[in-house]
Amino acid sequence: MDILVVHLFNALLYASVLFLIAGGLSLIYGVMRIVNLAHGNLFAFGAFLTASAVGQWFAGSNSALLYLLLPIGAFGAAAIGAVLEPTLLRPFYRRPEEYQLLVTFGLMMILEDLIRFIWGPYPISATVLFSKMGSAKIGDFVYPRYNLLVIAVGGLAALFLWAFIYRTKFGVVLRATSQDMRRAAALGVNVNLVYVQAFTIGCFMAGLAGAIIVPSQSAVLGMGVDALVLSFIVVVTGGLGSLEGALVGALIVGTVREIGISMFPEIELAVLYLIAAIVLIFRPAGLFGKTA
Amino acid sequence: MSSRPTRRDFLSQLGVTAAAGAAVGGSAVGLIGAGIAQAQEKPKGTIPSTPFKIGHMTFFTGAGAVLGEPMYKGNLLAAEEINAQGGLLGKRKIEILKADEAAGTDANTKEMRRLKLSEKIDMFMGITSSGNTPALGPVAEELKLLTIFVDGCTDFLFDKAVPNPRYVFRITNIQSADGSTCALAVAATWPQIKTYAHIHPDYSYGRNCFDHFSIVTKKMLPNAKSVSESWPKLFATDFTPHITKTLAAKPDLLVTSLWGGDYVAFYKQALQQGLFGKMKVATTLALGSVPQSIGKDHPEGVLTGVHSNYHFTYPAGNRWPLNKTFVEKYHAKFNEYPNFQAEGAYTATYVLKTAIEKANKLVGGWPDDDAIIGQIEGMMFPGPGGYVYFRPDNHQGYKDAITGFSKNVAEYPFPILDPHRIITIPIRNITAPPGWPKGEPTSTYTWIDQTWPVVKA
Repeated sequence: MDILVVHLFNALLYASVLFLIAGGLSLIYGVMRIVNLAHGNLFAFGAFLTASAVGQWFAGSNSALLYLLLPIGAFGAAAIGAVLEPTLLRPFYRRPEEYQLLVTFGLMMILEDLIRFIWGPYPISATVLFSKMGSAKIGDFVYPRYNLLVIAVGGLAALFLWAFIYRTKFGVVLRATSQDMRRAAALGVNVNLVYVQAFTIGCFMAGLAGAIIVPSQSAVLGMGVDALVLSFIVVVTGGLGSLEGALVGALIVGTVREIGISMFPEIELAVLYLIAAIVLIFRPAGLFGKTA
Repeated sequence: MSSRPTRRDFLSQLGVTAAAGAAVGGSAVGLIGAGIAQAQEKPKGTIPSTPFKIGHMTFFTGAGAVLGEPMYKGNLLAAEEINAQGGLLGKRKIEILKADEAAGTDANTKEMRRLKLSEKIDMFMGITSSGNTPALGPVAEELKLLTIFVDGCTDFLFDKAVPNPRYVFRITNIQSADGSTCALAVAATWPQIKTYAHIHPDYSYGRNCFDHFSIVTKKMLPNAKSVSESWPKLFATDFTPHITKTLAAKPDLLVTSLWGGDYVAFYKQALQQGLFGKMKVATTLALGSVPQSIGKDHPEGVLTGVHSNYHFTYPAGNRWPLNKTFVEKYHAKFNEYPNFQAEGAYTATYVLKTAIEKANKLVGGWPDDDAIIGQIEGMMFPGPGGYVYFRPDNHQGYKDAITGFSKNVAEYPFPILDPHRIITIPIRNITAPPGWPKGEPTSTYTWIDQTWPVVKA
């Protein structure tokens, strides 16, 4: 029994982080129809920024301050997003999709090198936040309390986003812009402003995912590309552009991975792709996607 | 074999030695040396003064940079030392051209061709991944490009991909030595083990460690059995489910070949899930990647492998001055401690220098590649980590295997190998000998399977 609880927490832990990353990716696509290939590296940037703030610049400060510093990676990634959208992406909205892919792919490479340039080639840890919280007893097992915090943050983020998009005026404007950009503009919506806000929120989510996993995992080069691939599996399963899809997709991927690791260790790598493939065969636009 | 030997007897036959080392840290006897550099003799004949170009390909980006960066630094340090004395044969300065291994295997083979054909490199060095040496080896042979691979240590390279090498050499220990060393250290230290679990990265290195740990353990701990296997993706960061699975299997021992950032993330998560308190842990590369990336929160007494190659604290003190001066110089230049890749690349550069000097003495002038190759074949060379021997038949470098146990000491802000419990194994006792038929999955595997006895407990 206790092991089932631990498995459940593991699945939720993975799903929370995936939701934050894939949710941001999906939000940006939903509003702007841009597949942001640099999204994974914004996640990595968030991780590196928090890791260096907590593990290097302010290492040894009192722990309340360090916990307050945790979200710095999210704000850093959001700041990059707020600059990138108007300067680099906006000129490409009217061009065919391949231009956007090329631009965001280039951006991915630049961010990867920028991270290496700033932080060097070795892993950076911020474990103090992870170990400080200790572990909780679950039957025969001990489980890191920090992981429970990550799960809570993932859940809260989902709730907050839902309320934001379906219960606020900004949400109405956002959805209107996403459904028909021209008509929204004709009705007086400042589309440029909506775009930069949506993009910034998406980047914030990626950065938050990076910031929140770094205490338990450490920041390493290449983590961005991995995250990008995983979040593609999530959005392909759930449906690109749909937040519900990202949430359900993340939960499916988290659960399937957990089952795969304990029961079919030899095909751990293949299991996630298999799920995405099966979903695509039966629902080509993903579980929550709308067929064009 | 008339009767089965006991485990203790057979470990003695293999020369598995747990040795107490000298005190850690600097000793009073300061040797002012120029690293490996020997007194320079005047070269024979006229030597051109054109630069000697080395194409150095390793991981400069991505998660592999954790190993690639020290490799390049080892090469760089040796090149600068040699250049400070005028260069190779006192004339030819070494010029290093960097290439990023992270470009992918296909792109790497093209880059090797480009380096040879367009940049006219005299030699190729580097490579971290076991996925790349089997692809690049045949290309180097085809290009007739003198090559010393620093790592990418898969047995497959000289077993299958380049079974009769002419231009290609490799300096770090062959991969199978890693799993075997780990298994022998376990058998010598914890013979009471009855059950064990595996966590290995799912690529050639992890599979190789699994194979060789398993075959050696079958011989040395015949009553022990594997109760759990996990194969996380290489460069994964979340090991929570693998740890849960391992804990649920309740093994006496966990064997893992995770390395670099993977191992850092793994041990931090395992600590919080109480894994280290519930079982022994044996690793192949925990302290090997970057010594300073492991924190002092890492438990002591873990079998912490160094790729069975090198840890900068051994040989300790001033017992092997080559190591002392190398570590001091490396630390002074880069403000970090060298790992096995740095030692490998540094030594490889001096192997090259020595071979060129010997060849020059024989033929005069700048020796051609055949003369240099003839000198590397069969060379026994003292590097910071000890003697390395290049077997003429397969061009593989062999040096005695080493592993040990994590220990925190006051001198370093990270754990090192416990200087009182170093385990060394003569390399010839754990690798297939010359002439042994090529086997599957490796020649060493079939050699162990067919020639080692199953010991009595």
